Amino acid sequence: MDLKLQSYGERAILIQNLDITLQSSLVSLLQVSPPVGFVEFVLGYDNLMIVLNSAADLGAFRTWLTDLLEVGLDPPVEPRLIEVPTRYDGEDLDWVAKQSHLSVDEVIAIHSGAEYRVRMMGFAPGFPYLDGLDPCLYLDRRASPRNHIEPGSVAIGGSHAGIYSVASPGGWHLLGRTELPMFRPDLARMNEPDPTKIFTLRIGDRVKFMNLG
Amino acid sequence: MPELIEIVSTGVGVSIQDSGRVGWRRFGVPLGGAMDRHSMAVANRLLGNKEEAPVLEIMHSGVTLRVLADTWLALAGADLGSSLQPWRAERVARGTLLSFTGPRAGLFAYLAVPGGVDSERWFGSASADARNGLGHVLQKASCVRSMAALPQFFAHRVAARVAIAEDRRDFSAAVELRVLRGPQFEFFSEASQQALVNATWKVSVRSDRSGFRLEGPQIQVPASIVSEPVLPGSFQIPGNGQPIVTMVDGPTVGGYAKLAVLAEAELDRLAQCAPGTNISFKWLD
Repeated sequence: MDLKLQSYGERAILIQNLDITLQSSLVSLLQVSPPVGFVEFVLGYDNLMIVLNSAADLGAFRTWLTDLLEVGLDPPVEPRLIEVPTRYDGEDLDWVAKQSHLSVDEVIAIHSGAEYRVRMMGFAPGFPYLDGLDPCLYLDRRASPRNHIEPGSVAIGGSHAGIYSVASPGGWHLLGRTELPMFRPDLARMNEPDPTKIFTLRIGDRVKFMNLG
Repeated sequence: MPELIEIVSTGVGVSIQDSGRVGWRRFGVPLGGAMDRHSMAVANRLLGNKEEAPVLEIMHSGVTLRVLADTWLALAGADLGSSLQPWRAERVARGTLLSFTGPRAGLFAYLAVPGGVDSERWFGSASADARNGLGHVLQKASCVRSMAALPQFFAHRVAARVAIAEDRRDFSAAVELRVLRGPQFEFFSEASQQALVNATWKVSVRSDRSGFRLEGPQIQVPASIVSEPVLPGSFQIPGNGQPIVTMVDGPTVGGYAKLAVLAEAELDRLAQCAPGTNISFKWLD
């Protein structure tokens, strides 16, 4: 396994060049039996950051990881399929159709016909970066981002599909909207917040957009 | 506990902050919390609170508070021109108006109340993150409660009411901050690697709790990278070649190459550099 380990700041490590299988296996393991000094992990696209308690834990972590890769990791758990009911009435449908040399109906059929995987979350709490967008819908982000995008906006940007999770500025192209909330901050207001209730999606989930017409 | 402080004017910004949210970054929830954790901890210690107890973070100018009961308050961090001296705990009478008129030195002041500010917690933290709907947003006429009526020290012990010299910081002094190489350090030309430490940088007015923008020489812009986790203190170089240093409310992932990252303890010091402040950097490694 040719993984590149990079130190980042004083007490974090970036593991680069991960495929989705190894990424998912590592993430499952970190949640079940984390190594000594582990604080938290953050997923990037093909990488993973591990934050540790202190610089003194870095050496032991490298050993833990090397040993682990020698022994081999369990395969990741079978992903769930989540359906996202979507009304395709986004502001950018016409523009996206024109740029991709397709009709609006074709754009909708292509976007709702594909199956996606949640590759990472970020930008905002619960915002999923979805792999699986048809390359004919790859478009550069807007030159000037919008100041306000409503949560629930179903959008595409670059090679990804996504769903805005909070009201925010943003540069992705809006295809439609869903009532399925990606993030429920009110449920975070308890002693032991339950991520499965607060966030609708999790890393690795399969996602399909259901056209509500 | 009864209400202790009323927000008369929110000015540039006043919010409840503590040590933030650990363990939720993988869902895209920023760390958040006090911009200058050192000053927050000192303000709390002055009243015998836990270091990470929720405090009021007061930004720059225009904030006015009314004290609703006889109490003790402690202030640390920036000197924003109020009648309370920073780095001290003082007895304050009911009815007192505290006006933070503008920075003499620093940017964020921390006001601790006995026991800490009483607040619900989101992901275990009282810190306000308005963009993400986390924490109580303070508005004009909002009232803040404290967790105790009196501080955790005995009236005959006065030593704890002034912060020791080692804990006090002078934010009017020249600022040189230590930086480590960022994950994409090698992507930058030697000239750009040198420019970061050779030039003097100015904090832009377009800075906030998510990121501090720096103005200075043009840094060469490498190709953008696949999205990668971002730690607070990272120097991201966007298309205009002017660094953005990610702060505690900043996004958890990003696609700009990162030239450098601040040594962890320096984040508190950068946070106190008001727009217009000149700063320089030096490589630690």
